[in-house]
Amino acid sequence: MAAVLDVSGVHRIYESAAGYTHALRGVSLTVERGEFLCVMGPSGSGKSTLMNILGCLDRPTSGTYKLEGIDVSQLDDDELAELRALRLGFVFQSFNLLPRATVMRNVQLPLVYCDVAPSKRVERAVRALRAVSLPAEYYDHRSNELSGGQMQRVAIARALVNDPALILADEPTGNLDSATSEMVLKTFARLRDEGKTIVLITHDPEVSVWANRTVHIRDGKLLTDEEERALVEAAIAARPGQGAGRGHT
Amino acid sequence: MRVRDLAVETWSALDANRGRSALTVLGIVIGISAVIAMTALIGGINRALVGELGLSQAQLVYINVWIDRDLTYDDVDKMARDLTDYDMVVASSYGSATVTTGKKKASGNLVGVKPEYFKAMGTKFVDGRAFTDAEERAGTMAIILDKESVRVLFGDADAKVVGQTVRVGNDECTIVGVVERSADAYGGDNETVNGIMPFSAMATRVNGSQAVSQIMGFAHEGSNMEQVVNRTKDYLALTYNIAEDMREDSMYVYSMQSMIDQVNTTMSSFSLLMTAVAGVSLLVGGIGIMNMMLTNVTERIREIGLRKALGARRSDITRQFMLESICLCVTGGLIGVALGYAGSFALTGLVADAFMGEGSTVAVTPVIDVGTVLFATGICVATGVVFGWYPARRAAKLDPVESLHYQ
Ligand SMILES: Nc1ncnc2c1ncn2[C@@H]1O[C@H](COP(=O)(O)OP(=O)(O)O)[C@@H](O)[C@H]1O
Ligand SMILES: [Mg+2]
Repeated sequence: MAAVLDVSGVHRIYESAAGYTHALRGVSLTVERGEFLCVMGPSGSGKSTLMNILGCLDRPTSGTYKLEGIDVSQLDDDELAELRALRLGFVFQSFNLLPRATVMRNVQLPLVYCDVAPSKRVERAVRALRAVSLPAEYYDHRSNELSGGQMQRVAIARALVNDPALILADEPTGNLDSATSEMVLKTFARLRDEGKTIVLITHDPEVSVWANRTVHIRDGKLLTDEEERALVEAAIAARPGQGAGRGHT
Repeated sequence: MRVRDLAVETWSALDANRGRSALTVLGIVIGISAVIAMTALIGGINRALVGELGLSQAQLVYINVWIDRDLTYDDVDKMARDLTDYDMVVASSYGSATVTTGKKKASGNLVGVKPEYFKAMGTKFVDGRAFTDAEERAGTMAIILDKESVRVLFGDADAKVVGQTVRVGNDECTIVGVVERSADAYGGDNETVNGIMPFSAMATRVNGSQAVSQIMGFAHEGSNMEQVVNRTKDYLALTYNIAEDMREDSMYVYSMQSMIDQVNTTMSSFSLLMTAVAGVSLLVGGIGIMNMMLTNVTERIREIGLRKALGARRSDITRQFMLESICLCVTGGLIGVALGYAGSFALTGLVADAFMGEGSTVAVTPVIDVGTVLFATGICVATGVVFGWYPARRAAKLDPVESLHYQ
């Protein structure tokens, strides 16, 4: 069976009034089913650009991207939308919930776009909300009445509800304190244990502990294993006595 | 995206902006009110005209001839025989006399007619009956009153008065029938009695003359009324030796159709004005809607980005915003229908005076029908589509990545 995602030689060049920005410079990456991959890199290294391409929200300038064996570059806008509706789940740093809508309605929102019969939606939403351990008493709360951790769990439930092939999370803990972050990351780890495929993007090294594989991105390129090892060693050498490296900000 | 989902999304979006939505639809409300008030009034006026003289009104031709002698019913009967354009030719004589009951004394406008008059006019009786041929032949003093006159004489328009007697001039006269309104009633203040009497009784006891005052012909259905009028004029000129240059002064022949046409012409300039008012307010209202929808789109850029990330196609976004705009317009339109209909009642008095003459007794009741409401709804849908299109397209074309991170 094809890898969930297979990226090879992807470049992304932004064109703006200020000139060209070469945000991705030949990224190649494969993620198998059931993997929890962490993409780590400092701010501006091209993480979000990569995530947008993986999420079929943006297209590579060159290179190929196959999602479950389908070459995404061949698809038109509507087909990409359909792919997002059926095969992808997103979790954002800023949650992006509909503030006035209830938890239930937020979680059911993706089902509107993948033509799930209304009679089955509640059941699926409840299943997703249980998977993120949100207590049932919150189901009818408006999402803006929740805490940050609860909001992000609702957002994860929303990403799960269409039973996607791939869940993409861009700095999902970026707006959360460390205790809440841990709860959210545990949720991801549990989903991985249940067989979900997850790509999580972060600049925080502590997050990568939860993943079963981490790749590092610098200036639009993924680091090779040797470069990575050198990087880690350099970090340890620069700060003797300190265990894990601090986060880049 | 299912219709039900679209409806839910639209409702929650409009619900979230209730105050703004309400203000924005005002223009539409005004525009549609104007259209509805106008159509309801025109409908009412047309119905009043039709109702006034019965359905045959369009076929009705008024014939007046002024020569050196009075015309009598013999002339009328001759016309009925000679003029093949008409189903029926009848006449009435006008006169006045004091009408008294035990307690009440009023001046009376009286009309003398033969029994066939009622058939020709399609007179509807509230109570009692028309005259009989026997009564006409015998010159019986019988009278038919309209309800208003019953009120004047007996204090209650619904009083049971058939069989009672009143005095007309010096003669006892039996009331044989009551009609809603006397069609030939020509004004008078509201203390005047309108009565219809047998032609013969009118001629001998009230007028003292066999003269007819007004001749009325009922043309065959579907006739070209202009031609009928012209042929009638030619006939009159020939029969009564009226010289070409005297025609204008010696006869006056006109059809109800021409009167209706005249009213319609006046009405159509009125409706043109109202249509212009409606058009302008719909335009202004539509621009208001567009403005609000653009604001909506800007405020909801992140939401749009999110929906796209979750799999919404361009067409889903377009539909969602279009439906919002259409719903706004249709809601405004339905409020406009209600207000316009209510407003048309307020305007009836004014319009009836303007078109039917000061103090007219013609009752105009605004008329609204399903077709009008559907038409107004259609206009609103069209306004919603036209002015919602640009904002909706703008929303649909937003780039998902940029809109997701829009601050
Ligand atoms: N829409 C855009 N237009 C132009 N340049 C962009 C755009 N988006 C990102 N970039 C640039 O591309 C580079 C990578 O950005 P990004 O992928 O957002 O990095 P990260 O998410 O790792 O912080 C940065 O230099 C950024 O300024
Ligand atoms: Mg980023």
